[in-house]
Amino acid sequence: MEFTSVIHGEGIVKKYKGFELNIPTLDVPQGFATALIGENGAGKSTLLDILAGIRLDYQGSLKFFGKYDDNDRENNPDVKNAIGYEGTGNYYLPMWTLKQGREVQKLLFKNFDENKYIELCRQLAVPEEDSKKITDLSDGNHMKIKLAGVLSRETDLLILDEPASPLDPLMRDKLCDMIREYLQKDEGNKSVLFSTHNIADMESVTDYAIIVENGNIVEQGFVEDLKEKYVVVKGEKEDEEAARKVLYSVSSGNYGFEGVCLAERLNELAGLKTVVETATLSQICVAIMKQNSKLYGVK
Amino acid sequence: MIISQTSGVPIYQQIADSFRADILEGKLKEGEYLPSIRGLARDLKISVITTMKAYEMLDQEGLVTAVQGKGYVVNSQDGNMLKEQHMRKVEEGLMQAIQSARIAGLSENELIETLKLLLTLKEN
Repeated sequence: MEFTSVIHGEGIVKKYKGFELNIPTLDVPQGFATALIGENGAGKSTLLDILAGIRLDYQGSLKFFGKYDDNDRENNPDVKNAIGYEGTGNYYLPMWTLKQGREVQKLLFKNFDENKYIELCRQLAVPEEDSKKITDLSDGNHMKIKLAGVLSRETDLLILDEPASPLDPLMRDKLCDMIREYLQKDEGNKSVLFSTHNIADMESVTDYAIIVENGNIVEQGFVEDLKEKYVVVKGEKEDEEAARKVLYSVSSGNYGFEGVCLAERLNELAGLKTVVETATLSQICVAIMKQNSKLYGVK
Repeated sequence: MIISQTSGVPIYQQIADSFRADILEGKLKEGEYLPSIRGLARDLKISVITTMKAYEMLDQEGLVTAVQGKGYVVNSQDGNMLKEQHMRKVEEGLMQAIQSARIAGLSENELIETLKLLLTLKEN
C-alpha cells in the first residue's frame, strides 16, 4: 500500500564501538501508528534519538512532514513544537516535585496545555500530590507523567521510546486508547512512532511495523500486509524434518511442530499434513528476529 | 457491531461483512458516509490499518466509494447488483450444502429432494 511519509530518512548511519546503525532508507507512514520492534541492542533507541534530535552526531539526511529537514527540526520552532518525544531517560531533575515538573513544561513548551496535563494525570491515576518528589514515583507513574506531558502538547508526530514497558496491563490498554484517540483527532494527519517489546499488548494499535536487528531494518510493512506475507504452519511430528527447510522459527514438541512460513512458499509444503493459520504480529516478529538474531546465528 | 478476536475470521472481514449487510439491507443508504476510519478504529479498539482494509474491501466490491478528504460514501445499490450480491450468498450456502452432502454420501437426487422438502416446510 502506498503512503505519505511523516519521516523520511536516507543513509542514516551511527557507529559505535562494535555496533553500527545503518539504515539506507527509512519511511514512517503519516496518519498511522508505527511500531519499532527489535531485541535489546538492536538500535531502536539510537534510531529514535536520532529522529527526535536528542542525538545529533549521525550521518544521513532526514525529512519531516514531507518538507522540513533536521536543521528545521532544531531551529524552526514550528517544526520542533510539532514533534513530541518521550524517552526512557530521567529528564526531570531528581529533586523536583510534581508541581515543579509541571511548571517547567509550561516554561519550555509554548503549546503545553496545563489543564489537559492535570486531566491526563488524573485519568492515568498519577498520585495527586503536588509536593511529591518525582524521584519518589514508581517506574509506572514516572512513565505516566512523561506520557501526560507529551500528550498535553499540540503536536502532529509523537516519538515514544518504550512507552508500554513500565506500565501495568490496565495502563497499557489505556495507552493504546490514547494513541488511537491521538490519531483520530485530525483524521490522517497525526502520526505515532513507538518502540516496544510488548508486541502482543500493542498489536491492537499497531498499523505499521519496522523490525530492526543488529542496526539494520530486516522487515517492515503494514501489519495487514505482513499477515498476508507470513503465515503460521502447524503439523505432525513425522513431517517436521521436511517442513523445517521452509519454516522460520520452528518450535516442536512430542506431538507436532509449529513455525512461521512465507505464504509464497506454502506450495513447498504440499503433500504434508499441515494446518495454516493467520499469524499474530508477535509470531511474525519473533520469527523474523530469530532468523536475524546474533543469538541464533545469522544465516 | 460485534467483533470477535477468536472466531478465526479476520477482523477486517468481520467489519466488512457487517457494513455489507447494513448496505444490502438498506440500513445504510445511498449518500450516507461510513464512520471515519480512525473514529471506528478507536471505538472498536482496533488498529487503523485493519479498519482501512475493511473499507477498501467494500470499495472494491463497489458498495462504497472513497471521497478524498471526506471518507467513504455508500453508493446507489442498483437492483441488479443487489440481486447479484444475494445470488452470491445463495450460491455460497448451496455450495456448503453440496459439500456436506458429499461427505455424508448423499446422492444428487437425495440432495435435491431434501431441498424441495425444506422449501415446502419453509412455505408452510
